[in-house]
Amino acid sequence: MMKSRTLDIATVSRNAWERLVVDPTLGVISLLVIFSLIAAFAFPVFYAGNNIYNLVGSSITVMILAIGMTIVLISGGIDLSVGAVMALCAGTAASVVKLGAPLWVAFLCALLVGVIAGLMNGFLVTRVGLPDFIGTLAMLGLASGVLYIATQGVPIIGYMTSEYYVIGGLEPLVGPVTLPMVVALVLALSAGWLLSRTRLGTHFFAVGSNAVAARQSGVSVRWVKTQAYVISGVCAAIAGVILAGRNNNVPADLGTGYEIQAISAAIIGGASLMGGRGRVLGAVLGSLTLALAINIINLAGVPSSFQKIVIGAILLLAVIANYLSELARNAALRRRAKRDSQASSLERTKKEI
Amino acid sequence: MSQEQLTLRTHGARGRALKRLAAFAASGALVVGLAACSTVGSSNNAGSTASGDVGTAVCGSPEEQAAITAAVDGRTLKVGYTPPILSEFYTQVEKSAFNRMHELEECYGIQWEWARQGALNDAHSGVEAVGIVQNFISNEFDAVFVCSAAPASTMQEIYAAGSEGGVDFYQFNSTEELANPSQADDPTGGLFTVSNIGYDDRWQSGYIAGLYLAEELNGAGEIIQILGPSGSDWTKLRQLGFEAAISEYPGMTIVGSADGGYVRDQGLTAAQDLLTKFPDVDAIYGENEDMALGASQAIDLAGLQHWDGTSGIITIGADGLLSGMDSIRQGKLSATVDVNSVEMGRTMIDTLFQHEILGMTVAQFIRIPTIVVDQSNVDWAEAKIAASLAGPGNY
Repeated sequence: MMKSRTLDIATVSRNAWERLVVDPTLGVISLLVIFSLIAAFAFPVFYAGNNIYNLVGSSITVMILAIGMTIVLISGGIDLSVGAVMALCAGTAASVVKLGAPLWVAFLCALLVGVIAGLMNGFLVTRVGLPDFIGTLAMLGLASGVLYIATQGVPIIGYMTSEYYVIGGLEPLVGPVTLPMVVALVLALSAGWLLSRTRLGTHFFAVGSNAVAARQSGVSVRWVKTQAYVISGVCAAIAGVILAGRNNNVPADLGTGYEIQAISAAIIGGASLMGGRGRVLGAVLGSLTLALAINIINLAGVPSSFQKIVIGAILLLAVIANYLSELARNAALRRRAKRDSQASSLERTKKEI
Repeated sequence: MSQEQLTLRTHGARGRALKRLAAFAASGALVVGLAACSTVGSSNNAGSTASGDVGTAVCGSPEEQAAITAAVDGRTLKVGYTPPILSEFYTQVEKSAFNRMHELEECYGIQWEWARQGALNDAHSGVEAVGIVQNFISNEFDAVFVCSAAPASTMQEIYAAGSEGGVDFYQFNSTEELANPSQADDPTGGLFTVSNIGYDDRWQSGYIAGLYLAEELNGAGEIIQILGPSGSDWTKLRQLGFEAAISEYPGMTIVGSADGGYVRDQGLTAAQDLLTKFPDVDAIYGENEDMALGASQAIDLAGLQHWDGTSGIITIGADGLLSGMDSIRQGKLSATVDVNSVEMGRTMIDTLFQHEILGMTVAQFIRIPTIVVDQSNVDWAEAKIAASLAGPGNY
C-alpha cells in the first residue's frame, strides 16, 4: 500500500521532470503564477497597499473548508453540507456568546455541532448506504433548516466583543498577522502531516483509490470515511466561528454557495472527484487562486456577470490540468511497470542460464 | 422629467433644508399615525398602533365594526407568503403583516391561516419560488403574496393559471416597474396580479441614495459602488435611479463597481478591492444594507475615516434593517434608504382584506413611502421597526 501522496509520486518516478508533471498541484501553481503576472502587469496597485494581505484574508474561510473537503475527496467522498454546517456552527457560537458564556465555551459548542454533523454524514453514507452526494445533501438541508428555524430568518447580531474582532481577523493578532491566518496555517500543516505521516492518512488514500482493495487489506472503510467527514465538520466549525467574526452577523443564509467554493478550491488544487488524489497545499493554493481571480475582476472593473464565467473557466483549466497530470501519472506507472517487468525477466533469464 | 421626479429633486442648501423638513414631517406623520388610527376600509396606508392595542380608533364605530364583522362572517383566509429568501428584511415585513392581521382578527373576527416559504438555496434564480407558488396553488390557498427573482414572464404565467383556479396573487417588494406597465388602456397594466405593493426601486431607492450623496458632498466627489448580483432586477432598477441622480451633478463621478452578492462578507471583499484601487473615494454606495455594512468594515480595516459631516467616506445602503440602525447611530454607516418594511407589511394585509372580504377594487400599483435615514432621524426609524417587531401578531 502506498504510504502517502508524496511517496506515491516518488514511487511512480524517480525522474524529477516526471515527478513535477504528475504532481496534482502543478496546475494550480501554474494558474497562480500566470494570474499573478497578469495582475502585476495590468494593475500597478496589485502589489500596493494591503491588496495581497486583503486577498489572503478574504480567502481564509474557503481555504479552511477546502482543507476538510480535500480529505473527504481523497477518501472518495464529497461533502455538500460544509456551507450549511459552517453557518450552523457560526450561529451556535454567536448565540452562545450572546447568552453570556465565555468564548471558549461557545467555540466548543460550535466544534461539537461540527463533529456531530460529520458523524451524521458518515452514518448516512457508510451505515445507511446513501451515496455521498445524497447523504451530505440531506445534511445540507437539515443544517440550514435548523438555522432558519432557530433564527426565524433574522440574523444573529450583538455578539461581537473586542476578542471576537480578533477571531474574525478584523483586528490583527501580532503585527499584520491575523488569527484566522494563523489558524489556517496550523490547520494546513496538521492536515498535511496527517495525510503524509500517519496511518490514517494512508488509509484515506487507500480507501479513495480502491475501497474494495482497502477493505481486503483490513482497513475499516466505513470508519475511515466517517473520520474524513468528521474532519470536514471540524473544519466547517472553525470556518464558521471565524466567519461569524468577519461578518459581524450571522444571517440564516450565511453558508449559501460556500460548498461550491470549497469543492472548486479543492479540485483546482488537484483533488480528484474520483478519490485517492489530492494535497492540502493544493487546497490552500486553490482557495488563493479563487480569491485572486475575484480580486483581479474587481480591480479590472469587469462586470460581475463575468465572475462566474472566469471561475468556471479556472475550474475547467484545473480539471484539464488534473486530467493531463493523471495521464502522465498513469504513463509513468506503466513505464515503471514495464521497467520492473523487463528487469525481473532479465533476472529470470540470468538465473536460467 | 416627470412631476414625481421633480418633487424628488432637491439641491444644495435648499435641498438639505427640505430634507430636514421631510424628516420632521415624516416624524410628525408617524406620531399622528400612531395616535390616530383608521379603519381598514378608509385607506391603504391606514396607520394603527404598533403595540397592538385594538379599540374604537382601529375598529371604527360600533356600527361600522358590526357591519364589517358581518361581512367577514367568521371566514378564514388561507394566505401564502413567499419572500425570495428568509431574511431580516422579509421577517420585518412579515411581522408587521402579523400585527395588522391580529388587529383585524380582534376587530372583525377574521381568522387567518398563514404559510410562509422562501427559497433556501438560491434566492437570486427564482427557481425555488416557482415551485413554492405552484405548491400554494395546488393547496388551494385564497391568496398568495409573492416577491420573487424569477423572470416576470414566468411568474405571470403562473399567476394566470392560478387565478383561473381561484387564487389571488399580490406581489410585494417586486420589480414590476422594470417593464414600465401602463394602465392607460388596461386596468391590470398587463399583469395577472390583484395588486403590487411596494416602492419604485428607481426613484424611491436608488435615486434618493444618489441625491443624498451628492448633497452631502456638495455636488462633487468620487463614488464606488457595491452592487447586487449581475442580472438582478433590483440591481438594474436601483442602478438606473442612482445613475440618474448622479448625472444631475457634473462634479460627481462613479469610478468603480464590484459585485457584493447582496451579502456582507462579499461586500467587504469587494469594497477592500475597490478601496485598494481608489483609496481617495468620497463615498460608497452599497445597493443593499448588508453590502454597505461590509463596505463600512472595509473602511475600518483600511484605516480610513468614516464620514463625520465634513470629511471621510460616506457609506449609504438601502433596506432599513433594525440591525443597521445601530451602525448609523455609531457613524459606521452614514445612511440607509429605509424602504419601509413596516408600512409594506401593513399595507399588504389591508389591501388583501379590502379586496378579499370587502370586495373593493384595489389599486394595481400601491407605492409606500420611503426615506433616507441618517443620524438625524435614526431614533424614530429604529423605534418604528422595534415597535413592530415587538407587536402581538404571531401566526
